[in-house]
Amino acid sequence: MPEAPEVSIAAASEGGYPVLKEDLSPAGAGVPTFKHSRLQRLADRWAHLGFLICSLLVVGLIGGILYFLATRGLAAFLPLAGNTGRALSFSEVFLSADWAPSSDRFGILPFIAGSLGVTGLALLIAAPAGILTGVFIAKMAPAWMRNLMRQVMDLLVGIPSVVYGIFGLTVVLPLVSRTWLADAPASGFAVSALILAVMIVPTIVSLSTDAFESLPAALDEGAQALGSSRWQAIWRVLIPAARPRLLTATVLGLGRAIGEAMAVQMVIGNNPQWMALMRESTDRAPFLRALFTPAATLTTELVQELPNTAAGSTWNNVLFAMGLLLYLLTMVLILATRRLGRGKEA
Amino acid sequence: MNAAVPVFRRSRTSKVVDRLMRGVLWAIALAFVAVLILFVGAILKQGWPVLNLGFLTKMSETLDAGGGIKPQIFNSIYLVVLSLGISLPVGLGAGIYMAAYAGQGRALRFLRLCIETLAATPSIVLALFGMIVFVQAMGWSFSIRSGALTLALLNIPVITRVTEVSLLAVPRELKEASYGLGATKLQTILKVALPYAATGILTGLVLTAGRAFGESAILVFTAGTNASAQFPDFRLTVPGETLSVHLWYVTSDGTLPDAREIAAGTAAVMILVLLTLNLLVRLVDRAIRRRTR
Repeated sequence: MPEAPEVSIAAASEGGYPVLKEDLSPAGAGVPTFKHSRLQRLADRWAHLGFLICSLLVVGLIGGILYFLATRGLAAFLPLAGNTGRALSFSEVFLSADWAPSSDRFGILPFIAGSLGVTGLALLIAAPAGILTGVFIAKMAPAWMRNLMRQVMDLLVGIPSVVYGIFGLTVVLPLVSRTWLADAPASGFAVSALILAVMIVPTIVSLSTDAFESLPAALDEGAQALGSSRWQAIWRVLIPAARPRLLTATVLGLGRAIGEAMAVQMVIGNNPQWMALMRESTDRAPFLRALFTPAATLTTELVQELPNTAAGSTWNNVLFAMGLLLYLLTMVLILATRRLGRGKEA
Repeated sequence: MNAAVPVFRRSRTSKVVDRLMRGVLWAIALAFVAVLILFVGAILKQGWPVLNLGFLTKMSETLDAGGGIKPQIFNSIYLVVLSLGISLPVGLGAGIYMAAYAGQGRALRFLRLCIETLAATPSIVLALFGMIVFVQAMGWSFSIRSGALTLALLNIPVITRVTEVSLLAVPRELKEASYGLGATKLQTILKVALPYAATGILTGLVLTAGRAFGESAILVFTAGTNASAQFPDFRLTVPGETLSVHLWYVTSDGTLPDAREIAAGTAAVMILVLLTLNLLVRLVDRAIRRRTR
């Protein structure tokens, strides 16, 4: 970034503009001031207003989404006039695993746990693989391989989620079921997480490649001058130095994974009762069994049930509360990346 | 290796570990290449027998076998164009504001926070918003207009970001020369900065179009899962099932006897469209680089 001049005389002298010191403004002492026609000045001011309105629209959208989701999502907990059902308490929704909407029981814990589970598993694969691929692209690969990897990641990120879903459904599920499960159905956390991992890996790769490329060259050179091997320099110097931005990359990957709906919905099996199923199972390897138990997440349940519920019903309101939860989670994650970014400068 | 560079003697384990980890990194990277080839290969192989002119030019069926995807192709293109038409002015405006007017302070940081939040918002959440506002509150039900407006929400942050970044990359000298010749700020933006940034913005636009083309969660809840029986149907008030929604719907609904084939063919068409878009971006990018060099 070139040094920003403190005051911009030309802008300040021109018809009541605030003093701006940004990139596209006329700037610097000694810049001649021009007399612009009235029309020019008018156009300038109206354009400024127009651009401002566009930006405010974006800000308004953030608030608008929150407002509308909250009016519907919180309606489940409030005794409002339009509600057809009773008002629920927070604990019977967020702390209960009992999801039986037709019997008036709305515990969404299975979906929260499902989202966390499948996201966690996906990150377990995608974070190490993505970060290592990032360092490979930035610090090890020859130029042709770097270009190839960029193109591969561009294509992977561009594939629509329904196509990932159909691939999972028609290729991965039958394959896993045939080879490992003696033809038992394979839908559940394992395959969902695998598909999700491939979907979020481009995000993690591109952000961590940037992170490694923006490290000062002296770090790498210094490590090598002190006699470290390629891998030692990567493991002991480069990865620790890039850690804040690698964490940011992982958090953004997490955000993408937790919000993905269609691909997961097509392979996870959509069983809201998965926690009960697990509890009753007498399996000796419950964790392994959980990987191939049909389950459900916040997003998949929304896709699955939203079309079948009437607006204003408690069931419908609880589904919107799940959407609100996802949105709030997004906000928390973005704020977390800000925190991480600030840690880097300190 | 340069003669002046000291040569170190490394322990055997560190040599072994180094070689091993180099191998691991290569293996991971090549695994992703393999995954992509396998993926695209499998989708194209499944879809190939279905792909023919009849499939592309026949109307779709809801109960009987043998339907095509003509209306879905039309709806996909129509919705992408409409949503870009809505989001391009807003995204350009917001991007210009951030690059040229917002300064370097708190306002810019806040705007960037908002753009990042919108970009990270799951599409299913945008779908819920569109459903509440356009489908229900405005009473537009499942229609092209509900879908296009909600889809625009997905595009806006990407276009804004691309515009801002492309504008910030405009060389300082160019702007200074423009101001030095007496141009106003607006003239400098419109006649100097934007033309310079146009290629970057255009590339971003194509990528945005690809994303909108593949989007399904938003459209299931705003544009609906039915396609009009007329063709071509430009009305904004009718439901508009796109290719991606069709792919999902026939797979999960299961009433079509040939749902598998339809889904496979649709997936192959989508992959081919996206590969073409990707190639297009690359060719344009290369042509521009050659010209400017």
